[in-house]
Amino acid sequence: MKRICRLILIVMLVSYPTVLQAQAFDEPDTTVHAFPVPAHSVAELLDLPRPSSLSDAPVKGEAPIIIVAQAIAGEEIPSRELAPSVEKEAPEEGEEEVPLIADPLAPINKAMYHVNDKLYFWLLKPVTQVYSHTVPEPFRVVFSNAFDNLWAPSRIVNNLLQLRFKAAGNEFIRFIFNTIAGIGGLGDVATPALGIKKQEADFGQTLGHYGAGHGFYLVLPLFGPSSLRDGVGLAADRFMYPLSYISSSNLTFGEAAGIFAGEKVNDASFHIGEYESFKESAIDPYVAMRDAFVQYRQKKVEDSKKPPE
Amino acid sequence: MSLRDKPMKKYLMSIVLFFWVVIPFPVFAGVPLDTVKMHVDKVLDVLRDPSLKAESSKKLKRDKIRAIAETMFDFTELSKRTLAQNWSTFSPEQQKEFIGLYKSLLEDTYADKIMMYTDEKILFTKEVPLTEKTVEVQSTVIRKTDEIPMNYRVIQKEGAWVVYDVVVEGVSLINNYRSQFREILVNKPPESLLETLRKKVGKA
Repeated sequence: MKRICRLILIVMLVSYPTVLQAQAFDEPDTTVHAFPVPAHSVAELLDLPRPSSLSDAPVKGEAPIIIVAQAIAGEEIPSRELAPSVEKEAPEEGEEEVPLIADPLAPINKAMYHVNDKLYFWLLKPVTQVYSHTVPEPFRVVFSNAFDNLWAPSRIVNNLLQLRFKAAGNEFIRFIFNTIAGIGGLGDVATPALGIKKQEADFGQTLGHYGAGHGFYLVLPLFGPSSLRDGVGLAADRFMYPLSYISSSNLTFGEAAGIFAGEKVNDASFHIGEYESFKESAIDPYVAMRDAFVQYRQKKVEDSKKPPE
Repeated sequence: MSLRDKPMKKYLMSIVLFFWVVIPFPVFAGVPLDTVKMHVDKVLDVLRDPSLKAESSKKLKRDKIRAIAETMFDFTELSKRTLAQNWSTFSPEQQKEFIGLYKSLLEDTYADKIMMYTDEKILFTKEVPLTEKTVEVQSTVIRKTDEIPMNYRVIQKEGAWVVYDVVVEGVSLINNYRSQFREILVNKPPESLLETLRKKVGKA
């Protein structure tokens, strides 16, 4: 039954005359038959023209359908204008559909990737190594809790915006409880005492929750892999960061930068070696990073549509 | 409407019952999870073995982990799914070489990574069926300041459940490598990908 539905859908799509060059599909039935397509790639087919990450790809409108249909028919994909990750294929059974992102700024992004790479090896890593040798781990955990607690307002607002009221409530309780009982969030006492876990949420995710695509890939200095959507999200979340407000009146720029650096270094002290092994495992670190970013964010958006644990 | 007929319904029921009783279930709830957990526990045992703590036994440790990985993973399935539609453009010899090289790459990079794990707790939470043949076994690695969801995708092959993909924080290993390999294969022949891999694993 599923197979028949699938077939009908594909035949309908394939024979859609305004979209496709008819001569390429003289016998749509046999073509389709010769190439087993899993159900979710049909869903992809139907999804593609929607305003998603693809709509910002250089090829607009109906073009993605043509590309997909030709890929299904086993033909050469003609367009080289698309970022390679945008090219479609029919995945094998049981595979997740591959998330896509357009990368029109690839040369700039690649340059920025190398800048960040050097920043890590020449600056962040040596500083962090000295830091983690100087500051014992229990203290670093405490600082990590405190920095994290400051992001609670952003998590509360974003959970609310995603209409995840239970998660927002949990984050609110955590924020109050950890700030008071955990003395300014130095201890994450809510997790063991109340059994309430952190409910991650950010503005990029909120935008994705409501169907916004990435736009295009963007490698930001210091922040690393991002996109138009998530870059906007990052800025929006900064607005919900308490220190953003204190900094304008009571903190000098140097102090604010110091706090930012402190958060970065403290955070990095738990992750030394991870970037190295990522690079070691990659054939093309730039592409690997871009793909990992897209998959990771896709998961975050999917999670935002599920009820909280 | 005929379904409402009593005899018909009875007949249908007996068919259902027949299949229920006669045809053994290919999937027993819990087996995929237990299989993955068994392998992971074995790896953890090796990592925590006090007699292997010394720096000199690093190679022995690595060999032991490699032996476990050999039965835990299906590298052929992993390779096929990574290359997806490009798999068929490889000749049988190239496919064979690709499997070997890809396996070494994963072993080299991940053995080092996993050997840094010491006091992390791993909780196996549940299993979710993906297709008729495949299941996702979900686990969480609990670390000092965070928790990492780590899911193993398994397929049943010759009665055993073998891993063909690992998904860490939503990032699928085979999808990640596919995007990198595709970049190469888009305008270069399979041989050139093999050459890149040979260089990477030091077998050039």
